[in-house]
Amino acid sequence: MSKDDEYDYLFKVVLIGDSGVGKSNLLGRFTRNEFNLESKSTIGVEFATRSINVDGKVIKAQIWDTAGQERYRAITSAYYRGAVGALLVYDIAKQQTYENVNRWLKELRDHADTNIVIMLVGNKSDLKYARAVPTDEAKQFSTENGLSFIETSALDATNVELAFQKILTEIYRIVSNKALESENNERGAVPGAGQSITVAPTDTNAPKKAGGCC
Amino acid sequence: MNIMRKSAETGGTLSRKGTVSKADLAAEKTKNEEAAMMADIAKLNSMSIRFTKFKTLLDMPVIDLEQLRKLSWAGIPEEIRSTVWKLLMGYLPSSADRREATLQRKRKEYEEYVAQSFGRGKATLDQALYHQIHIDVHRTHANIPLYQTPRIQEALERVLYCWAIRHPASGYVQGINDLVTPFFHVFLQSYTKGDVEKADLDQVSPEMLMEVEADSFWCLTKLLDGIQDNYTHAQPGIQRQINRLKELINRIDARLYSHLQAQGVEFIQFAFRWMNCLLMRELSLRNTIRMWDSYQAEGTDGFSDFHLYVCAAFLVKWTEQLKKLEFQVCLKAMDHASPHVLK
Repeated sequence: MSKDDEYDYLFKVVLIGDSGVGKSNLLGRFTRNEFNLESKSTIGVEFATRSINVDGKVIKAQIWDTAGQERYRAITSAYYRGAVGALLVYDIAKQQTYENVNRWLKELRDHADTNIVIMLVGNKSDLKYARAVPTDEAKQFSTENGLSFIETSALDATNVELAFQKILTEIYRIVSNKALESENNERGAVPGAGQSITVAPTDTNAPKKAGGCC
Repeated sequence: MNIMRKSAETGGTLSRKGTVSKADLAAEKTKNEEAAMMADIAKLNSMSIRFTKFKTLLDMPVIDLEQLRKLSWAGIPEEIRSTVWKLLMGYLPSSADRREATLQRKRKEYEEYVAQSFGRGKATLDQALYHQIHIDVHRTHANIPLYQTPRIQEALERVLYCWAIRHPASGYVQGINDLVTPFFHVFLQSYTKGDVEKADLDQVSPEMLMEVEADSFWCLTKLLDGIQDNYTHAQPGIQRQINRLKELINRIDARLYSHLQAQGVEFIQFAFRWMNCLLMRELSLRNTIRMWDSYQAEGTDGFSDFHLYVCAAFLVKWTEQLKKLEFQVCLKAMDHASPHVLK
């Protein structure tokens, strides 16, 4: 197995939201640091991964990017099962995509696991002059509904890294707390955790480096 | 020392050989050039023979569609593809004396559809539907400048909108925007000189474009009539196709099948789009058009049954590579790498 395959936790996360809000570009920015103005509409479900570090643990995010159009719900909702996180994306310049957030939340309630971590993402924050959804309004809505909230721009990369980092950290905290609990109760079973690997101890004999990079 | 002498000897031999074979080389070159020329001539001849065969068929008062299908399977010459496609799709009647009247009637009918929907401006359209079509048309073949011109985009929007409101069982489904373009491309080609992608659109009059639009509308309608349940609720047609693909692969390549199973790769995860967009996301438009020659030549089941076998062939092509990959890479390879491999 290559280095890529070594991880402590594997989290399945879904990207949902109306058509054209920039889900695929958020994923492209996070996993490949790419933004594609010419990106085609997503058909059904597409897939990408990236690993990040949280508290010295390697978290591998397996992200399922879904088609936004209504017709695909029957297909895409099958992918909600087993997802521990959802990024619910709207376009800050398109009021309608924000109004539909409620319908997406219902989708999650109907098809996803009850304790899924949901983050509301207002994308296209670079479109400052076309803003239709005030930040405060979305923030308040999130608080009321127990969601995390962030505004991002896949185009200029603002907050994209942070958004994924935040949701993965939140999931990690929940999962690792649960793992602790179950370890106290009965040893062994670690719900939601990926395959664990042994991390080699740091070489204590190595000469200490002076601070700074040079 | 030994090595040096040896290399000197070899060098000597080489140079001796070199002088001797210069004339040989020249002769060989001429020979090769001749052979290449002969091959070119043979190719041109066979193309010309094929073209003549098509022409003879097309000039008959009542076209033998069976013969036309047989001939088209191996590819249709570009100059006559537009006509042949319309015949194979069942849009143009096979008898010559009915053709012109049918075309005129159908084109007029489509013009009326457009007038009904777009005659009072875009504000009267079903906004949700129009919006979906609009954003999808803007990201259709975004790499081909032709499809970024407003005139072409508006034409495609009209075709898709008029189709969608007449087919409420499915309505417009993302991906259908891809399916209209081979028709549009081929039909527009017949109105332009040279490569349609580089054509000067100013030479295409509004009347001409309306004809291209109308013909594309009717052929798209014929195509989708045959695969309608790919796009109705829960897309049962696609589900069925994916199951059949799964069975087929199990039968023809059991080792690949069990590898995918072992890795937890579900067929729906990669083959959904293959069915939904008829592999247009994986192949270039040019290659798609060539594939559709054969699809249409296959008859009514070309875009369903035959497509299934094409998908199986497409998958089996990468058997060796796929067998070495684990779940994530496997899926990613099929999602992203396939177009590069094939192009």
